[in-house]
Amino acid sequence: MTDAVWLASESALLPSRIQMAFTLAYHVLLVPLGVALPTLTLLMEGIGIFKKDETAIKIARRWSVVMAVQFAVGAVTGTILSFEFGILWPRMMGRFGAAIGLGFAIEGLAFFMEAIFIGIYLYGWNRLKPKVHFALGLVLPPVGLVGAFGVLAANAFMNTPGGITMEGDRLTNVDVIRALFTDALGYEFWHFVISIYMTAGFMVASIYAVAWLRGRRDHYQRLAFAVPFTFAALLAPIQLVVGDVSARALTDNQPAKFAALSLTWETRDHNPEVVLGLMGNAGQIYFGIVVPTVDSLLVGYSPATVVKGLNSFPEDTRPTIAEANIVHTAFDVMVGLGTIGALLALWHLWSMARRRRPPDNKWFYRLAALAGVGSYVAVEAGWVTTEVGRQPWIVYNLMRVSDAVTSAPAGFVWTMLGTLVVIYALIAFFFISLLLRLAQRWRKEDEGAPEVGVPYGPRPKAFEAGSA
Amino acid sequence: MPELVAFVLLLAITAYSTAGGVDFGAGIWDLLAGASGKSKEARALIDHAMAPVWEVNNVWLVLGIVVCWTGFPLLFQEAFLGLYPLFALALIGLILRGAFFAFRHIAEEPRQHRAADLVFGISSVLTPFFFAATLGAIASGNLASFSPMSIAFGLVSVAATAFSGATFLVGDARRYGAPEMLDYFRRRTIAAAAALIVTGTAALAVIAAQAPDLLKAMLAGKGLPFALVTMVLTPAVAFLVWRRIYVWYRVLAVGAVGSLVFAWAFAQSPYLIPGKLTIDQAIAPQPTQILLLIVTVVLVLVIVPSMALLYYLDQKGALESTY
Ligand code: HDD
Ligand code: HEM
Ligand code: HEM
Repeated sequence: MTDAVWLASESALLPSRIQMAFTLAYHVLLVPLGVALPTLTLLMEGIGIFKKDETAIKIARRWSVVMAVQFAVGAVTGTILSFEFGILWPRMMGRFGAAIGLGFAIEGLAFFMEAIFIGIYLYGWNRLKPKVHFALGLVLPPVGLVGAFGVLAANAFMNTPGGITMEGDRLTNVDVIRALFTDALGYEFWHFVISIYMTAGFMVASIYAVAWLRGRRDHYQRLAFAVPFTFAALLAPIQLVVGDVSARALTDNQPAKFAALSLTWETRDHNPEVVLGLMGNAGQIYFGIVVPTVDSLLVGYSPATVVKGLNSFPEDTRPTIAEANIVHTAFDVMVGLGTIGALLALWHLWSMARRRRPPDNKWFYRLAALAGVGSYVAVEAGWVTTEVGRQPWIVYNLMRVSDAVTSAPAGFVWTMLGTLVVIYALIAFFFISLLLRLAQRWRKEDEGAPEVGVPYGPRPKAFEAGSA
Repeated sequence: MPELVAFVLLLAITAYSTAGGVDFGAGIWDLLAGASGKSKEARALIDHAMAPVWEVNNVWLVLGIVVCWTGFPLLFQEAFLGLYPLFALALIGLILRGAFFAFRHIAEEPRQHRAADLVFGISSVLTPFFFAATLGAIASGNLASFSPMSIAFGLVSVAATAFSGATFLVGDARRYGAPEMLDYFRRRTIAAAAALIVTGTAALAVIAAQAPDLLKAMLAGKGLPFALVTMVLTPAVAFLVWRRIYVWYRVLAVGAVGSLVFAWAFAQSPYLIPGKLTIDQAIAPQPTQILLLIVTVVLVLVIVPSMALLYYLDQKGALESTY
């Protein structure tokens, strides 16, 4: 048999999982700025309007351009995701669409509003009165939150399905409220919302931390750094608490996921906390630091707390060892970065409280410059924890990933995946080069060159050839 | 109530075919503008007309998909199990189009710019083609991606989007006071109307051969009023534009394309997939239907005014600025 025939007869499970993971991971890179940047921009515009600070207005304007480009890419990659539910997982949607879809229907509303008002906000800068412009922009933050709620309701349903009645394989009734507000929603939603606001704040601020390191210390730089950084710094410590709530909730809701992320093999009390490290096929731990009893303490505040181990679940209902190692590593990365971020935040807040400005310290700015990227890594790691930890289920305890997958040939999905990788690389290239160009242009403007229009969807003043 | 949900789905499909269609149409004319003569001017006008609204149009598509999988999970499952190649192709077209529309503005080098224009233009043709082909494949009842029906529907949709795109560009040329562009797109409106009539007639012949029941329902049953509306409005728009009678021509063009979609949908109702799946068989449980209808009502109450605001500000020139 030739390779082509072999590929064509293979199940599409593997490429489908890779494709889903790849496109989701990509899309979620756009979400923090998509949902949270409007808030930061409005904050800045508000400072500009109410304190009559032209610099703040200028910063807000520039951020809004980034917001729009970002939104466009988010919309494109998000649309792809919704198709992938059909192309890759048609049977999940066939069986559970009436429940999973609820969140997405609400999300649809929110995206609609977002698209409209981003259009108005971006194109309204010059012609609308400042306060009208600001007021119209105020629609964006709540709408973004509603959108996030919708998607997370769908995801929470996959993790802790509820509110449905099944007869055999057929979903016969849905309790809308319970299917939207499933057990996981509470912690997933708040943890996620905080993470995107934090990420947006750290990311934006990190640009100006770099500017500081390069020697720029004017009002512009100080404002553009301090506002988003303070915003994120206020959230970072809270995130530790909320993340802790998530982890503890998993011991009830998805014990196999918890066993994977804590690398617990045997069910036991005095369960040790494993920091980093890998698990072997018989549950032995390599490399990591094993701290006795601490996991039990963290879960139930008592050394006697019993933690369920992976081997207490039938093998085909829990993550594999390889998956458990991925989940555990991702979890540790998230927690580690979250802790560093919170410490950095406290340093900043302490300095702000004492001297009303950020620390004048090179190391502070070096870390701040890394905080943006670090947050993104934490977000990705968090999703890997959630999604891989759910394996082998697509809808927890109700449907396996392998039962949901398309019957399209593997070769088709591999081809599509390859195409998407190329296209996404192209999009990333364009996106980044556009941002770099914007930055360069703004730098020139700050050195005295006149302001020019934005390159994104520009509407030339007159469209006559030549001026366009 | 299942019928109401089906109607909501139809409205989303129709909205995408019309609003989105205008958008794709503009892209098609962007491609056909080529590299010579008035192309620069035409392209500037197209950009001008599209920039602030294209993302909103795209949302209709997402909405349609969501209503489909929430309201009719089995339809969604069957359609995607059978027609994944078409959906994948449409999807890839859509991404390339979106990406290259946004990014052609940053290509400073003429050659890059030209390449970006080209990708944008070609994908503006292919995307509506493949989307409509899925409808054709569904209408044929046997869910084969590449069949005479799917190709016929695809071709009609390309003509239809070119048609509605051209009429709106006529409007934009008028709004911005560009007499040359006005004539340029007037001629193209008339040509596209002719193309729509030709492809539409050919499609009817294909339907007659492949799905005689559907044809009967279209020309003698529930689809008839809508089919008639399209048949009357298409030449009427061409006539108005030819005689420079600028009243109602855009609304009528949207009407022509919209009722074409209605003619197909009503002709095959109560089937979602003719001979295989009816509305009642595929419908989600009742509470889900209720939520979908509530979402629809909110959509109408909230989105329509917002959208009106967007279009109002746009027309007023409040969104003219370069920022
Ligand atoms: C800035 C980002 C960020 C930071 C600093 C943290 N997390 Fe997180 N975490 C996320 C971003 C995130 C996320 C991307 O937002 C996830 C993915 C799914 C979700 O609901 O939130 C997530 C998921 C997630 C889950 C899985 C929830 C589930 O499967 O339902 C757990 C158990 C934790 N987190 C725990 C923590 C702990 C204990 C942290 C710190 C000490 C922490 N996270 C910091
Ligand atoms: C947005 C951030 C997200 C990221 C980065 C992410 C990441 C991943 C990863 C890594 C996988 C592969 C797991 C594996 O095969 O081992 C996966 C699978 C999947 N995720 Fe997520 N996920 C995200 C959010 C969501 C949301 C919000 C939903 C649905 C509402 C969702 C639905 C799915 C589905 C359907 C699969 C495929 C089946 C499976 O492997 O379980 N994901 N995701
Ligand atoms: C982690 C959860 C997710 C959140 C919070 C989220 C949020 C967003 C946001 C804010 C946008 C608008 C673009 C932007 O502002 O950057 C967007 C676009 C989109 N997302 Fe996601 N997304 C998530 C995951 C998903 C998943 C799993 C899907 C799969 C169905 C999805 C579907 C979409 C769609 C269809 C769009 C385009 C909407 C439009 O055309 O305007 N998202 N998403």
